[in-house]
Amino acid sequence: MENFKTLIIILMSSVLVNNYVLSRFLGICPFLGVSKKLNQAVGMGISVIFVMLLASAVTWPIQYYILDTLGLGYMQNLLFILIIASLVQFVEIVLKKFIPSLHKSLGVYLPLITTNCAVLGVTINNINDKYTFTESMVSSLGCGLGFLLAMVLFSGIRSKIEESEIPQSFRGLPVTLIAASFVSLAFFGFGSIVENLIGG
Amino acid sequence: MKHNIKVVLSLTIISSVMALLLALTNAITAPIIKEHENSAVGGALKEVLPEGENFVSVDLSKYDLPETVEEAYSEDNGGYVFKLKTAGYGADLILMCGIDGEGVVKGVQYISGNETLGVETTYGEKFNDVTAENIENVETVTGATKTTTAMKNAVKDALNSAIILGGGSVDIRDEATILNDNLKTALPAAEGKFAEIFITEKKGNISAAYKAENNTGYVFILGEIFVATDNNGAVLNAVDDTAKTEVEAVAAGIINSTMTEIDISGFADMPTHVQKAYKTSGGNYVLELRAAGYGINGDKYTRSGEYIQIKVSITADGEIITCKTISQKESEGIGDACAKPEFYNQFTGRLESNYGEIDAISGATITTNGFKTAISSAFTAVKILKGGA
Amino acid sequence: MSKNNNMSILLKGILLENPVLVLILGTCPTLAVTNSVIGAFSMGLAAMAVLICSNTVISLLRKFIPDTVRIPCYIVIISGFVTIVKLLIHAFFPEIYALLGVYLDLITVNCIILGRAEIFAGKNTVGKSVLDGIGMGIGFTLALLAIATVREVIGLGSFAGMEIPFISDYKIEFFVKAPGGLMVYGIMIAIVTALTKGKVPMKKEFACEGCPSAGVCNTACKQVKEEN
Repeated sequence: MENFKTLIIILMSSVLVNNYVLSRFLGICPFLGVSKKLNQAVGMGISVIFVMLLASAVTWPIQYYILDTLGLGYMQNLLFILIIASLVQFVEIVLKKFIPSLHKSLGVYLPLITTNCAVLGVTINNINDKYTFTESMVSSLGCGLGFLLAMVLFSGIRSKIEESEIPQSFRGLPVTLIAASFVSLAFFGFGSIVENLIGG
Repeated sequence: MKHNIKVVLSLTIISSVMALLLALTNAITAPIIKEHENSAVGGALKEVLPEGENFVSVDLSKYDLPETVEEAYSEDNGGYVFKLKTAGYGADLILMCGIDGEGVVKGVQYISGNETLGVETTYGEKFNDVTAENIENVETVTGATKTTTAMKNAVKDALNSAIILGGGSVDIRDEATILNDNLKTALPAAEGKFAEIFITEKKGNISAAYKAENNTGYVFILGEIFVATDNNGAVLNAVDDTAKTEVEAVAAGIINSTMTEIDISGFADMPTHVQKAYKTSGGNYVLELRAAGYGINGDKYTRSGEYIQIKVSITADGEIITCKTISQKESEGIGDACAKPEFYNQFTGRLESNYGEIDAISGATITTNGFKTAISSAFTAVKILKGGA
Repeated sequence: MSKNNNMSILLKGILLENPVLVLILGTCPTLAVTNSVIGAFSMGLAAMAVLICSNTVISLLRKFIPDTVRIPCYIVIISGFVTIVKLLIHAFFPEIYALLGVYLDLITVNCIILGRAEIFAGKNTVGKSVLDGIGMGIGFTLALLAIATVREVIGLGSFAGMEIPFISDYKIEFFVKAPGGLMVYGIMIAIVTALTKGKVPMKKEFACEGCPSAGVCNTACKQVKEEN
């Protein structure tokens, strides 16, 4: 039961408290680039969850059964990024061939994920935090969900910004960043909420 | 075909060359990194105990230390550093605690854990220069009670462990265990199973009474002495004569006391705090009270909406025999202190004239005042009940 | 190749094509490590080292690497240099290693580096590529330093860990936290936009077409753009 509680805590804190985008700054590029429309934000978010889960499922055993047993820890970075890149390619090919409908809605976002630091970040963090395989999967799911949540929330805010009068030099990216700052500030409140929800 | 070969070849060559470069760099840096990591352990020990010299790991299997102690290191000046593992809001909260040869905490550092509030990283500083005697004065942090209480208890364990490793002996049992052990010694026949009874009759200097769950007798606590009696109040264990006389004078009364409920609806002026009233066979009154503390009167967003339920026995002359908090939902870590014996036992022996002099719960004025108001209504209630319907 | 031309390659990274403030690349480390001046400076230098090395090697190999697999090749080279730099920092500057943490690994996916490989080093001579690497590296470092200075001075009342009297009594912790990073970055870009009005082709939008890895996912980019 304690184990289950740990998993819930990992999940909640990776979704809310240590949100990858808003408090750890991983995956900022797609967050700012592809959050203009709600459907794009959702598509990107789901793709990221999918790739994160897949990448963690593959990289975890590779780290523990291959790299660590052979003493090749220093190959981690190189191997992980290659695995992520090929996974993304592979998934795209498979989707295109077997589930074209899904490829049509998600396929677009897949290539954008290859060099998304959130995906490489989550795989390396899972290893650094010494998570078990199950914990890694839960934390990847949480980080992905957190990313989706941030994207969806922010797409709503952006559609408002688009309609507002903004000083010349703030138009475009600056005002977007400042709006993101407020969203990030709002997420700070989750810190103690999570303790009260699960801690008791 | 030729193109494909070139593609594969170029990727392979580049990957191999990079791998080779990496292996080379690794060969150069690995020993240096290893050395850093080793000295980092020494450095971490030094960080919590700066004056420590020549740390040596202690073999814990030879000692009976609290479970929180994971590792211990001794040093030349008689100090110790402990690695402690406890559970705060998340599992596996790891702390380092350095204690010098005089038994004074020199540093507490949060190493790792799943806490999220941020307070864990700075809370350790509060333990600087704390000793086993004054650690209770270190206050936990509101809003992060779980984390800070766990850290405080871990530091307490470290202080006790330092005494044990230094050759001294210290009681590492918690209060409940100590109480139960004492009860067990006084009345072995009960096999360690006791239930506290609510004293409703004259009790002299007795502070608490326990009944054996298997009906083999009672144990009365008289100051530091545990006195066992049979079901008729005759003393069973060897205690000095004064204690024996003192207990036997009141024991039978306490044991045989019965009570009958009084219908309070007939009393027009009965304070609303009184929920139920009983008269005991010894002529005293037992009242069940509800007090409006922070749960009722507190900030409307944080209050629980629940009363504090209090049970009090009181003589016909208006002297409180026993007072106990039955249930409460006051603020965690603040007002909930009203459920502690240290608080409600203060009312024992108080009269209407001096009940107000008890020590308030620090930081919980609303709770304390609500509690006091309920107690004052108990005195009124007894006067009304005595007057008859 | 005139001397003038070389100078402009070097300088454009610092000013007119500053990777952080004008090209808006490498946003993740920009925000993550700029809560301390020391972190920002070390991250800048580490990224610069990787950038110079990868630019050199990639431009050396530009005729050898087949076009179809250039991106995987670039990634291998970059990630290799990142690990080398990481190992060296771990061995010789362990404090900085601890400070930068996972963000050191993430230099691999810093789009500045892949971006310069794709846009510049893959098409230019070694000499120019090295200059480009130095220029971009300095530009990156300077921009990080500027943001970090604002954040640390206001947020912690200190500069590079040294406490500043008076200011340290009035520190606003917001600035060293995540939201502060986003806000300072946003304001910095706005200031640069205002100052350079008309002189610099400022990027108004931050979307796919601006991404240096756009070449990798050409179709995806177009589709996203159309939907916008």
